Amino acid sequence: MKGAALKLILLGAAFLFARASVADNMIMARVPLRAEIVLEYVKASVEEHGYTVAHLQLCDGGMKDFGYESDFYRVVFFGKVDEVRMVSARYPELVSYLPLKIAVIAEKNETLLTVLNPEALAPFFPDEALQIQLGRWQSDLMSIFQDVRRAVGARIVSNH
Amino acid sequence: MNLIRLLSGGLAIAAFSVLGTANAAPDGRELYIEHCSACHQMEGQSGIGLPLLNAKLADVSDNYLHSTIRLGRPGRVMPAFQRLSDAQVGAIVKFLRQRSETKEIVYSDEPVAGDAAHGQALYAENCVKCHGADGTGEGPGTGVTTSRERTFLVMPASISNTGFLASAPDQMIRRVIHVGRKSSGMPSFDGKLSETDIDDLVAYVRSFEQQERSVAEIDADERPTHVFESPHDFETTVKNVKAALTGANFRIFPDRLLEQGLTDEFSVNTRQVGVRFCNFNVLYGMLKIEPRLGVVLPCRITIMEREGGEVILVVPNLRVISRWFNNDELVGLWDRMEETFTNIIDEATL
Repeated sequence: MKGAALKLILLGAAFLFARASVADNMIMARVPLRAEIVLEYVKASVEEHGYTVAHLQLCDGGMKDFGYESDFYRVVFFGKVDEVRMVSARYPELVSYLPLKIAVIAEKNETLLTVLNPEALAPFFPDEALQIQLGRWQSDLMSIFQDVRRAVGARIVSNH
Repeated sequence: MNLIRLLSGGLAIAAFSVLGTANAAPDGRELYIEHCSACHQMEGQSGIGLPLLNAKLADVSDNYLHSTIRLGRPGRVMPAFQRLSDAQVGAIVKFLRQRSETKEIVYSDEPVAGDAAHGQALYAENCVKCHGADGTGEGPGTGVTTSRERTFLVMPASISNTGFLASAPDQMIRRVIHVGRKSSGMPSFDGKLSETDIDDLVAYVRSFEQQERSVAEIDADERPTHVFESPHDFETTVKNVKAALTGANFRIFPDRLLEQGLTDEFSVNTRQVGVRFCNFNVLYGMLKIEPRLGVVLPCRITIMEREGGEVILVVPNLRVISRWFNNDELVGLWDRMEETFTNIIDEATL
């Protein structure tokens, strides 16, 4: 029993400091908590980073409506209106990738957070100002994932 | 009281692991959490990535693991972690060894000499059912996702993959054919095939190195989106796009303005709209192939009226996006879907 508790606490503590994985085109993080709860942490962190949550896509709901079984699968759309306006005016090609979006995917009692790495777009747009913007988005997304993992880690530690 | 002690102990260990000196040796567990756990889960149970079973780790060398992390599996989801240092990759391998309590099998680099032509006949008879005629693995699927159905618990290894072939020496392939892999359902051919037959099979598997990847490279000048000019006004363009989508069997969601939800309803630009659409049958099938698809959902054609009244349509280039997933099966499907999108735009802008 003590061993299990210690294991959980260590896991939670490890998540307090863990960073998200960047595999070039995708930023991903696994969170050891149910997706319904993690989604709330994601939304909170998105807003703490100065973004507005524009809407929530209920992918699982859509599929269920058409008879397809699906686990909890949501997409959080968010952005800053000034940035969206700047991009749509100067780089209309990029509007397909805005607002930014994070997929919140249930895997049993854990959650996978995934987002396209904005820096994957960098090679297509040599413009310096846009490179800075893409880098900032990447940095914010990493920070959001890190915040979520910290919050979940703290929750695991405090619950045990 | 015990819990408090445990709590502070856990925190202290975690804090120490992070706040240790910058020159400290890389921590394999931290690196595993950061780079591997998203796909393989914390204990290696599998997810988008294959399970890192103890029995499987016991079959391979540290060099194989190192090379697999470094090279990935092109087209099979597992990325190539080129940015990690050798010390970091080594730390992850060491962590995997410690966690699984396994010892590596060290294979010699001595090549196996065999008759690849005879090996091909043996392959067709004994291996093709699971590994496929081209060695890419059984049927649809690129890995294991615990929340979705699969024909096999573990996808048979893509033994023609360049990442696999560069990581697995002949002697390892030979041994796996000999003893099988209980962890993944690979049977032992000991006693069923002679030593010479097995050597011939190894030679044939090695010959996959000459096989070209089925996924074509995209042109260097391809852009991540297509931008089309519409000959029609904004409203007509939106209407035409919807009609073309309906004709192509897509379900259309309510319009969504690009700025909607980001500002108040009086400030939102109403001349920038996303027409969002989906074919749930296709989507359901695609999510089995690539569970992370949500990062580009839903399908959307953005119609914008520019200053001066020019109307443009912005459509994601599926050929470019699909390649970001390192998933050949998705690429094949999306290359075909790209044609559908092109037809829709053609019809809408006639």
